[in-house]
Amino acid sequence: MRHERDPRLDELDRALRGVRFEPRASLGAEILGRWRRGEGRVPSRAFRLRRILGLAVVMGAIGSGAVLALRLAAPGPRLVIDRCCEDFDLGGPPDDGLLIVAGPRERVERLAIYEDRDGSRSFTEPDAIRFDRRSRPAVEWRHLDRGRTAEYCCLDYDGGGKADDALVVVARPPDQIALAVIYERNDTARAPAVLR
Amino acid sequence: MGNHIPELSDPESPPERTASRRPGAVTDESQAVEGWYAAYGRMVYNYARFHLASPDAAEDVTAETFLKVFRAAERYDRDRASPWVWILRIARNTLRDHLRRGRLRSYVPIGAMRDLVWEAPSPEERLIREEQVARLLAAVAELPVRDREIVSLRYGSELDTAQVAALLGLRESAVRTRLWRALGRLRALLEGDS
Repeated sequence: MRHERDPRLDELDRALRGVRFEPRASLGAEILGRWRRGEGRVPSRAFRLRRILGLAVVMGAIGSGAVLALRLAAPGPRLVIDRCCEDFDLGGPPDDGLLIVAGPRERVERLAIYEDRDGSRSFTEPDAIRFDRRSRPAVEWRHLDRGRTAEYCCLDYDGGGKADDALVVVARPPDQIALAVIYERNDTARAPAVLR
Repeated sequence: MGNHIPELSDPESPPERTASRRPGAVTDESQAVEGWYAAYGRMVYNYARFHLASPDAAEDVTAETFLKVFRAAERYDRDRASPWVWILRIARNTLRDHLRRGRLRSYVPIGAMRDLVWEAPSPEERLIREEQVARLLAAVAELPVRDREIVSLRYGSELDTAQVAALLGLRESAVRTRLWRALGRLRALLEGDS
């Protein structure tokens, strides 16, 4: 049995076919970075066996405290997260990107906000850095006066894999940033938020 | 109808991950991982995007999907399912988990259509187009889950009805019927809105 098609549905079909989205250009590299640093990996059977044997030897020799200390001290790969674009500087158009270098244990080692001047939707050479800090939160005091605070929540800003981080930006429109900080939300435990 | 979805045996398909677990085989593994994402990233992203109001949420679902894909790649059996079927199944489960976790917010942030592909001659026309698409997707979001799923697979992932049928384990005729019924409901929602 053949149905008579409503021409309005054909029109809707065409409209829906015309809707296409393009993921952020840097998303692939970001996923690759997360994979490289071991997120989501399950160790192989041989690796698991070696680890069990190794742990047994180490546990017997120096105790579990030493093992923990060694693991904490081991350097891990870094992850670069590049999220563009929002209006972080409150200048009007959403043309600002956030660049984060996250180290081991979700530690933010560098945080920069840039203006995406070439419209590439990722950090490239022509872009202007509006704010840049290292692992410690920093304030550009000269821009703090008349600054306006905005919170962006909740995404994975620290590379931990969970969308549980918030970004707080104090901006002085149209293009100055006084402060940008990331913290991990902790709604359930009523504990202080963990600053990244 | 739908776009071409490369198989693993196709020349443009992602490279296989054989021996990628060798110590120091970072390059092989990186190429394999990049290949999988290059071949199927847009398909997964657009599928998620038809379900989610925010590009950021769609990115998170896409990233989570591919991390699961990479993790499970050694267990993937091409005799049991085509790669796109396997990946979309993982994407569907990931999206379901994402929705269950309730991380969606009720508001749509500014720039929610920043990922829309549209060559507009002026910013004004771009805005008009963004509003049209936002209205369309808001109506899709009001559809029952089953309708929304079929619309997202057909138009988001650009599968044809035979591919949707293969993925959902249905007959193609049933998919066509469901799809047109879903479009009918979508039309009604859009007319009620205007």
